Amino acid sequence: MEAIWLYQFRLIVIGDSTVGKSCLIRRFTEGRFAQVSDPTVGVDFFSRLVEIEPGKRIKLQIWDTAGQERFRSITRAYYRNSVGGLLLFDITNRRSFQNVHDWLEEARSHVQPHSIVFLLVGHKCDLEAQRQVSRQEAEKLAGAYGMRYVETSARDAINVEHAFTELTRDIFALVRSGDITIQEGWEGVKSGFVPNVVHSSEEVTKSDRRCLC
Amino acid sequence: MSDSEASSVAAGSSDVAAEEREASPVQVPDDSSPPASGANSTDNSIDVAPTRKARRRPDAKPPAEIQESQETKAEEQPAKESSESSVSQGGWGYWGSWGKSILSTATATVATVGQGLTQVIEKAETSLGIPSPTELSAQVEEDQHQQGEGSSETDGAGEDGASAVGSAIGMLSSLTSVVQNTGKTVITGGLDALEFIGKKTMDVIAEGDPGFKKTKGLMNRTSTLSQVLREAKEREELQTAEESLSSSDPERKAVAHYGMLFDEFQGLSHLEALEILSRESESKVKSVLTTMSGDEVARLREELDAIKEAFSLVEFDDEDVDEKKDEDGSEFERELAEALDGLHVSATADKLGKACRSACTQIAEMTKPLKEEEEGEEEDVKNMLPVENIHAAAIRSLAQLTARSIELFHKLAETILSSHSSTEASLLSQLTVVLCKEISLLSKKFTSCLTTAGSNEKGDVLNPLITGVFLEASNSASYIQDAFQLLMPILEVSHIQRRVESTQQ
Repeated sequence: MEAIWLYQFRLIVIGDSTVGKSCLIRRFTEGRFAQVSDPTVGVDFFSRLVEIEPGKRIKLQIWDTAGQERFRSITRAYYRNSVGGLLLFDITNRRSFQNVHDWLEEARSHVQPHSIVFLLVGHKCDLEAQRQVSRQEAEKLAGAYGMRYVETSARDAINVEHAFTELTRDIFALVRSGDITIQEGWEGVKSGFVPNVVHSSEEVTKSDRRCLC
Repeated sequence: MSDSEASSVAAGSSDVAAEEREASPVQVPDDSSPPASGANSTDNSIDVAPTRKARRRPDAKPPAEIQESQETKAEEQPAKESSESSVSQGGWGYWGSWGKSILSTATATVATVGQGLTQVIEKAETSLGIPSPTELSAQVEEDQHQQGEGSSETDGAGEDGASAVGSAIGMLSSLTSVVQNTGKTVITGGLDALEFIGKKTMDVIAEGDPGFKKTKGLMNRTSTLSQVLREAKEREELQTAEESLSSSDPERKAVAHYGMLFDEFQGLSHLEALEILSRESESKVKSVLTTMSGDEVARLREELDAIKEAFSLVEFDDEDVDEKKDEDGSEFERELAEALDGLHVSATADKLGKACRSACTQIAEMTKPLKEEEEGEEEDVKNMLPVENIHAAAIRSLAQLTARSIELFHKLAETILSSHSSTEASLLSQLTVVLCKEISLLSKKFTSCLTTAGSNEKGDVLNPLITGVFLEASNSASYIQDAFQLLMPILEVSHIQRRVESTQQ
């Protein structure tokens, strides 16, 4: 794996059971779609590099949580060290949309004292005929919580890259502006090793802000 | 731990304690190995310890007399310190980072450090009745002498090679027992023996290195296993990034970095998640205990002690670890399935089995062309797989197997916490034994590949590679054992949950 990256962001993916969290992540990290998969136990891990600007790579470490209720008390413990997250619901499953609020509340209460940048994802958008949640109401809900909204399909590979890159860009902007800072003992954002020959150390240490590129 | 205490333990109890100590020569050079392999050829000063030990030996003779005074000095400090650090750290911070200090700050005092290491190791060995490495190191010393003298003579070259291999094999067998013993130290109550020697070594180093105290202060910060491993990984990443830029040779082989590979296989993440669950469970147990009183709390404590005991009682017979056995990894899979029976983690177990099979396949492929070569033309030995490649494959396999083992423990923790069903600690310790045995077995297979393939290599090329494999194998086994220990609070919480449920009904 390429060792040179600017930052590592840890993202957590949450949402009801069977909305397609693992499938979305697998499409993103492995480029394939599995028709059948076992329900996630606890949490699984994936990682991938994303190039947000030419030469600027971010390593995403993705925590794929189990949606099943029986793992809820376990997955709660995993929120704290995430800087961002994808909150998924299934557009063909109204119930999963109604639960978005609960998921958000739960996440926000467990990331304290840190904050977390969420992206609302309406998944399985290839199943238009079975849609139970309209784009408008999903966008409205996202707006109310200050989130972006994206509709994706892991099966047809629609907007998968887009969803992850947008979230990464948003977090990157917050890191640059200083709204999110790297903290000792918090795994949400880590700075990578950028050899001085390629990038100026400006990218890593915020104190030195000259650009030599 | 005082010296007298140490020897009484060694003499009085089983040889487990003794062997734990014996494991230290492998543990000691820990972090100096990545640079040793990273430097590829030139710098012998950052060689791993056994070689260094051998080289420094002339100064240390006769060992018994000179050491006497220095040892007592070295021992006073650990005695002072053992209490504070053994409580919270379990030896972890030490093993993870002190190699760095040798590299970064002690280069000016290499001689002192090297000598210090030799003395500590020898002291540990002699006081415990373990065969001294004198013969072994004398042989290596002789080799080097020969190499020095005979470098201009073409005749001498062949001989040198042969004797270097001889010493490599000698080293191999002595190290082999160390790794076997790593398995045996499983669950016999942590790594206090290693810690004991580790502290001694640290103090010897500290004496000769003023900058060391500072490093040591930093190290105390690193208290969890995942932090230690993460820091190792980050150092390796930095090193790799720098090398990829400074290296003008595109043909240069990528050096195998255990920490980076371990992370690539998501071992770090699983470990971190397991630590989170373990910590949370621990504090839950504590808070439950504080809400109870009188007989109730006494009874619960007793029950929890029974669980704790199961985490410190098991050992396995390293006689079982036979290199010839289990060529395709099927034996391991059978044992694994047995150990995991009824634990509901089949998906993760499959991944682990696959990792093991792939390692066995690699080993089979490595040994195949060699056998053919022996039958055919003996002159053309250059076609053999480079030892660096074998080393890289070994490190990769160890990292993968360890990462998968940690993943398995993590999944077990999650399953136990979510299922409310009872899990026997003895099953988990049996599993740990199976995993450590496999690590030991694989490392033996890989190193015998190395020895065969490197029969024409000089000792100073081959030995660090072999030592490196045993080192990471020994570390791997420690990581697995530590991960196993992390399951203890989880079983305790699970026990309390079931207790509450049964009283409510």
